[in-house]
Amino acid sequence: MKPLPPLVNQDASFVSRRVFTDGDVYRREQQRIFARSWLYLAHESELKEKGDFVTGFLGETPVIAARGQDGAIHVSVNSCTHRGLPVCRAERGHAARFICPYHNWTYALDGRLLAVPQQALTHTQIDKGALGLRRVTRVESYRGLVFASLDDGIQPLDQYLGNMRFYLDNYFDRFPGGVQVIGPPHKWRIAANWKLPVENQLGDVGHGPFLHGFIMRNNSATTEINEFGLNVVPEPGHGAAIRLFPEGTDSETVMWGSENGSARMFSAETQAYLREVQDQLAGRLGPVHARIKGLTFGVYPNFSFLWANSVIRVSHPRAPGQVDYWSWWVVPADAPPAVKCELQSLYNASFGPAGLFEQDDSEAWSQQYLGSAIEQLDDQPYFYGLGLGEEQPHPLLPGKVGTSFNEHYARAFYLRWKRDIESAGDDARPDGEAR
Amino acid sequence: MMRSADRSDLQQDIARFYYREARLLDERRFLTWLDLLAPEIVYRIPARHNYVGENSARNTEQYHSLAHELSPPEEAPIRRDNLALLTVRAQRALAPQAWSDNPPPRTRRMISNIEPDPDADPGAGSKGDLRVYSNFLLSFSHHSADNHLYTGQRRDVLRPQERGFLIVERTIILDWNVITAPTLALFF
Ligand code: FES
Ligand SMILES: [Fe+2]
Repeated sequence: MKPLPPLVNQDASFVSRRVFTDGDVYRREQQRIFARSWLYLAHESELKEKGDFVTGFLGETPVIAARGQDGAIHVSVNSCTHRGLPVCRAERGHAARFICPYHNWTYALDGRLLAVPQQALTHTQIDKGALGLRRVTRVESYRGLVFASLDDGIQPLDQYLGNMRFYLDNYFDRFPGGVQVIGPPHKWRIAANWKLPVENQLGDVGHGPFLHGFIMRNNSATTEINEFGLNVVPEPGHGAAIRLFPEGTDSETVMWGSENGSARMFSAETQAYLREVQDQLAGRLGPVHARIKGLTFGVYPNFSFLWANSVIRVSHPRAPGQVDYWSWWVVPADAPPAVKCELQSLYNASFGPAGLFEQDDSEAWSQQYLGSAIEQLDDQPYFYGLGLGEEQPHPLLPGKVGTSFNEHYARAFYLRWKRDIESAGDDARPDGEAR
Repeated sequence: MMRSADRSDLQQDIARFYYREARLLDERRFLTWLDLLAPEIVYRIPARHNYVGENSARNTEQYHSLAHELSPPEEAPIRRDNLALLTVRAQRALAPQAWSDNPPPRTRRMISNIEPDPDADPGAGSKGDLRVYSNFLLSFSHHSADNHLYTGQRRDVLRPQERGFLIVERTIILDWNVITAPTLALFF
């Protein structure tokens, strides 16, 4: 039998189908990527008051993020140390403590074990200090975005983001009052590998006029992308698909909230609000920022931000062919309520489980999985070489820059991914290698 | 109060209207279906969350009132369509470059538990409008063996016409937290 080609070739112009379907690869991702990266968990606006909490996942690991009595955000694994039940079953809320349903062991917001109701009925001495929820010690925020890592020794979040901060600032520092996440995320399960949604939002602008042909063929968004679109790789694994307009372009064209003429359909109040934000942007963030109109951003491994549609995304792996995709709506915190309400349409007419665009995306991702699972084609890797070597440094933009159709965002992602899964493992599970 | 004979007539008229609507959608006659909508239609799907009950409401029906689970208006719902957006959806579903609908899914809508509430206040600007609850079971089969079942409630406001009704408002209450079906871009 011919040996199989590598998972990812030297310049990542070829990526094996097994990258998406293989069970061993999936387990390695859990141990070497999801246990060792910064993973997005919540936005600070969801955890304003002491006692506010949200539940989420770091990869497959269920966690609670709560604002403790000390004012800090604490992240604990949501599994009782007695028999493992989740001690919190709501998606968010406000609590003084978490009570496990099974025997009512009771935990503080920071995960400390406070009470064991049965203890007084026995003569057991319990070391409560050692029986708290597993704490996730590394929790850091950037511009309100709260990330956590299961790796105690991981580099600081600032360094991890590197040049990506410039692009995150473009949205998350755009509004004078900051941004706000409203409501728990929409969640849906897609029969696809977790990397497909990620890859899509890192910079797969090229599919737009084709997969979404009914809407995007020959519309003004497509023209803008062809003319001004750039795929930026700020750091390998991160990505920012943007449009960079020439100096002197009018505010209506560049401003956030104006996609394919959408701003013209808003009320005068909303249009005025959006224009004012844009007009202040050069002074606030700098002249280059005022020329950037974003599209989609990604932070390695599984955080995405749909700039144009103001939603945060996390792609939660559940199995090689199953992803839980979470979607949080973000708004400028200081926008008047009526403006916020109008801005909802930027999100859910096009994206989310009922989005005009996303209904085609999620189907494409599911069908990609079926294609990847064809075992007889293990020797026919996918071509990722569009624009290979054409990416360059840019005089204004940090990172490497290519056209909207250059797939270097994906090559950089898979090279980092390959380095990670091939790294030495101190696997948590002794049978980790064998499965 | 309506007489019970009137009520059963009304019940039958509404059922006839819903059955025809379901048939039009299952037959993919989406453009014809648009004629059943009032120009000011609001078509929503709120998200449905897991929440913690308010302790002050414990032991009352308020404690687990459905209202706590449904996303309030200030949150982005899963869907909030007007006639323009519903029209785009209908046209899209019949276009060649709408890849998730081409080839189209096979759907079958079962409408039941039809419960008009003639005494409920349908809200401002009503023109004899009625509040009507119904349940649906929708079977969705796509490509070769991609099969799914949707269940939920519809909370409608219907406006009686000389023949049939117009849908003025439809709120779809789905029975999922994590959406496990491929799309919510259908007509429910
Ligand atoms: S399992 Fe949590 S208290 Fe027993
Ligand atoms: Fe897309």
